[in-house]
Amino acid sequence: MMVGILFGVLTVTFALSRVLPSSPIETMLGHRPNPEQIEAARHALGLDRPIHEQFFLFLGDTIQGDFGVSLRTGQPVIEDIFDRMTATFELTTLAVLLVILIGIPLGVLSAVRRNTVLDHGARGLSIAGVALPAFLIGMLLQMVFYGGLGWLPLQGRIGAEMLLDYPFERVTGLYIVDTALAGQWAAFGSALGHLALPVLTLTIACLAIITRITRNLMVEVLGEDYIRTARAYGLPRRAIYFRYALKATLIPMLTVIGLTYGFLLGGSVVVEFVFDWPGLGGYVVGAITKNDFPAVMGVTLFLATMYLTINLIIDLAYYLVDPRLRVS
Amino acid sequence: MKLFKRVALGLLSIVVAASWIVVSGAQAKTNTATYAMYGDVKDWDPSIAFSLEVKMLVNVYEPLLWYNPPGSDSQFTPALATSWSVSDDGLAWTFKLREGVTFHDGEPFNAAAAKASIERTQTMKQGAYYIWAAANQIEAPDEHTLVIRTKEPTPIDLIASSQYGAYIFSPKAAEKGTDWFNQGNAAGTGPYTVRQWAKGQQVVLEKNPSYWGGWTDKNFDRVILRVVTENATQVQMLKSGEADFISIVPADAVASLDKEEGISAYAIPSWKNSQYLINTQKPPTDNKKFRQALTHLWDYETVVRDIYAGHAEVARGIVPASMWGHNDKLSPQTFDIDAARKLLAESGVPKKDWKVTMAYIGASEEYKNSALLFQEMARQAGVEVELLPGEWGTIWSNAKKLETAPNLQSMTWWPTYPTPNDWLIGLFRTEEKALFNLSHYANPAYDKLVDEGTALEGSDRAAAIAKYGEAQQILIDDAVAIFYADIKSRIARRTNLEGLQANPAYDAVFFHRVSRTQ
Repeated sequence: MMVGILFGVLTVTFALSRVLPSSPIETMLGHRPNPEQIEAARHALGLDRPIHEQFFLFLGDTIQGDFGVSLRTGQPVIEDIFDRMTATFELTTLAVLLVILIGIPLGVLSAVRRNTVLDHGARGLSIAGVALPAFLIGMLLQMVFYGGLGWLPLQGRIGAEMLLDYPFERVTGLYIVDTALAGQWAAFGSALGHLALPVLTLTIACLAIITRITRNLMVEVLGEDYIRTARAYGLPRRAIYFRYALKATLIPMLTVIGLTYGFLLGGSVVVEFVFDWPGLGGYVVGAITKNDFPAVMGVTLFLATMYLTINLIIDLAYYLVDPRLRVS
Repeated sequence: MKLFKRVALGLLSIVVAASWIVVSGAQAKTNTATYAMYGDVKDWDPSIAFSLEVKMLVNVYEPLLWYNPPGSDSQFTPALATSWSVSDDGLAWTFKLREGVTFHDGEPFNAAAAKASIERTQTMKQGAYYIWAAANQIEAPDEHTLVIRTKEPTPIDLIASSQYGAYIFSPKAAEKGTDWFNQGNAAGTGPYTVRQWAKGQQVVLEKNPSYWGGWTDKNFDRVILRVVTENATQVQMLKSGEADFISIVPADAVASLDKEEGISAYAIPSWKNSQYLINTQKPPTDNKKFRQALTHLWDYETVVRDIYAGHAEVARGIVPASMWGHNDKLSPQTFDIDAARKLLAESGVPKKDWKVTMAYIGASEEYKNSALLFQEMARQAGVEVELLPGEWGTIWSNAKKLETAPNLQSMTWWPTYPTPNDWLIGLFRTEEKALFNLSHYANPAYDKLVDEGTALEGSDRAAAIAKYGEAQQILIDDAVAIFYADIKSRIARRTNLEGLQANPAYDAVFFHRVSRTQ
């Protein structure tokens, strides 16, 4: 199934890149190419071959992990992806953790204190997060925390001179881990500070789904007989809510978390662009605007694979959290 | 509720701690200049680089000569050559090279290195290699003398000062190949060395202590070329002082930025100009009177004043006003609907065929708005204009083939090295197969004048200018294009900088000449 989907993604991206009426040659050659250079570039890209031949070549290369060379950066696409993946991973993973840490308790509280100020407040926050486009949230945060208060850095992944003056070895590619491992606390602080606004933007944008779904699932579960029984036994409320009720919501919740995570990996594009985050999102935006089709196809395929892998992990996690599935 | 409080409190403390570290960490600063660049360096190989790499190149590498801004006492500043001369027949250029200069990798700079650099650029056949096409023999008779021989008289002094393709680099580094360069390596003789390249984030240049030009206390020790793709972000960095220069300045933002405290924003002449090329072979624009009528339907003043927000000048001929060889005495094209009506009637083109197509880059607001204005003016004279916005790759390939070419094609042009013949040859000299001559113009008399001018450029520049003046008048009389705007470059920077010099020859800041006043 996974192979089928990936083949589909490959075919569609290939078709799109060839059907679109634009040519990547200008990107490659700069503003003053001559006929000789154009011909050489067409040949190097294989654009002078019949379309089916191009497709099989592309398929063969891709299976061997060769996505070609980016026309925009001049580097192998696979290297570009790995360079930038860790930046996206750091950003989105922190955002998802934050979404879970804030969203689930907020959802539970909203369910328990239905129709109170807290419930309405949480709903308002969620709606705002969904209604405001991510780039707007990002820019508002930039204006307040950088322009107004001057507390947090504006853009980039780490302070301009941190990389030079506080060098750290690239072990995981995650700056907050690598700087901590190297004991470079100034660089660590800088990396953390640079993460704050983009992570917050993504969190606000994604909080709504988790909060609202937790709330609705909890409202449903709290009406069940066994909860009433637990209450009747006089069990502590926190145990009822978090040990018994929340557990019953885990399966649908896992699905939502998985989808959110997958969405963030591809959907952090806008946020990465606003904050000049050197991740996959910013990379693919640049690639699309410059007709850099090897990069676009490489990233699309990579993201599709990641998305499918996350779904697979979530499916496996069902077995962990629900003993009934293990029996059947 | 407790859990919620705890999480909220935890997050808050992380944010506060992080911002404290950020603020306190930002204090110990070296003397650093920051330039917010809209993209990252792609081609590090100085033989190939042909784009925004110039921001890095002029600080890390040096050519034989630098071209001085228009209005300077002399045309060149010696860089790696200290003096130069040309033989009487104009075919041999002798450069005396600077002594005691070393490349960043420790290799000595000498005539052999200069020869190897130019020859490598020629044989790589990429980027701006074509500027050296006429140089067919390069010799290094002694350690500090370089002789460049050409097939025809050629202005090698101008070519040697090109912003692309003329840099001299260490032959040892060149041996390591393009892949080595593309890992963010460089080995020039310039005031700055490349200290670090964090892909997609920044290029850091650091002072080369053994630079032959010497150092003062005021010079910047470090220059950061920071990748900042978003215009709003660049502006915020400039306001806070985090960036000293920004690279994206929208036309309508110049005035408001200039009012901000600590920021100077203004426009300076550039060598970029814009024109609509008129197809001379496709009906109805194959008719000269019809073409002349079209040039009267363009509202030159309004386009420059309102659409370019005053950051352009009405063009007079194809060579921009700040380039040598520009001729102020050429008769300008004028906006005059009545004259257009008269010419249309005289043209003999039946009224039902008064229809033209107009292709331009759709993403450009300036192109779009001026095309719309033209469409309306043309309508008033009874000419129907069909607009064909598109992406450059597509409209260019359409325009090259006569079958798919539009009647009017948008174009913005700038020279690779400082010569007017870049426009005169690139855009209008007869081409067997159209490349950039998208007017599909072929006129042997014009070609002859341009060729004669080119041959005189190296030996008798005044005579060359006269030839180019005649050639340009032919272009105007033949109405091969609507010459409408000499574009200005827009600059936004911190006010407290000195030593900046506006020079259209290089689209970059020479950081070694700039310092902060406070």
